[in-house]
Amino acid sequence: MDILNTPRDTDIGVHVGRRTIAILSEANRRAEWAKFMSDSSSTQEEIGITKQDLRGALDAVDVWVEANSGAINQALPVVARSGLTNKQKDRLFLQVVQRRFEVA
Amino acid sequence: MASGDTLLIFTPLHNEPPTSDPATLDLRNNHPVLDFDAATNESAIFSAVMPRSYAGGGLTVSLHYAMSSAISGDIDWDVALERIGDQQLDIDTDSFAAVNSVDNTTVPATSGFVDVVTVIFTDGADMDSIAVGEAFRLKVIRDAAADTATGDAELLRVEVKET
Repeated sequence: MDILNTPRDTDIGVHVGRRTIAILSEANRRAEWAKFMSDSSSTQEEIGITKQDLRGALDAVDVWVEANSGAINQALPVVARSGLTNKQKDRLFLQVVQRRFEVA
Repeated sequence: MASGDTLLIFTPLHNEPPTSDPATLDLRNNHPVLDFDAATNESAIFSAVMPRSYAGGGLTVSLHYAMSSAISGDIDWDVALERIGDQQLDIDTDSFAAVNSVDNTTVPATSGFVDVVTVIFTDGADMDSIAVGEAFRLKVIRDAAADTATGDAELLRVEVKET
C-alpha cells in the first residue's frame, strides 16, 4: 500500500459520551509518523520494524485513544471531570504520559 | 582506462541541492552524509565532466549508504543522468533521462553499517548519450514512496565507474 500518497481526509468526529472527539486526519497522522522517524534518525535510535508497520502502530494508538477517551474521562474525580475543560483534561493526560516516558 | 575502472567519485560535499525536496547535509560522527527522508522522495545532484578515459562501455554507479535508525526493511534508490554537453541542453530546464533503479535492498542489521548498491547504465540513451568531455549531472533519489525502511537513509559516497 502506498501510504505516502493516501488522499487526505478531514477529521472524523465521534461522540463519546457527551464529548465529540476527533480521530486524527490522514494529514495529521502522516505528520506524526514522519516526525517520529525524523526524531529517531536524529539520535540514530534503532527501529526494528518497517515504516509501514510503524504507521500501523501510530494509527492503532490513535484509535485506542479515541476508543478509550470516555473511560479516561470517567476515571477522573468528579470535581475534575466537571470542572476542567476538555483541553485541560487532554493536557493533563499528555503531561502524565510525557512524565512517565521521561522517568522510565 | 578499461572496464571496472573508476571514473568519478562524489562525496556529500559535492551535492548541488535541488530547489524541491533536497537531501540535507548532515554529520554522523563527523562523517559528512546526505540525509534522505523516509516520508518524502528526496534527491541529490552532482555535476561533472565525463572523463576522456571513458571508453563507451556504459556506467556503473555505486551508492554507499547507511541507515540512520532502520535495522530492518528495504531501501529503494533511483539514479538519473542529464547531458549538458556542447550546445546540447538549454540549462534553464532540467532534462534528466529516465531513472534506473536498485530496489528492495534489505538494509544492514546495524544502522551504522555502510552498504554499497549499484545501478547500471548502458552506453547511449540510457545515460542520456553523454560523451567524453561533456558536462553532465547525476541525480540520486530515494524512492521513499516505495521502500519500507524507517528513518533517514544517509548517502556517504557515489562512485561512477566504467561497466
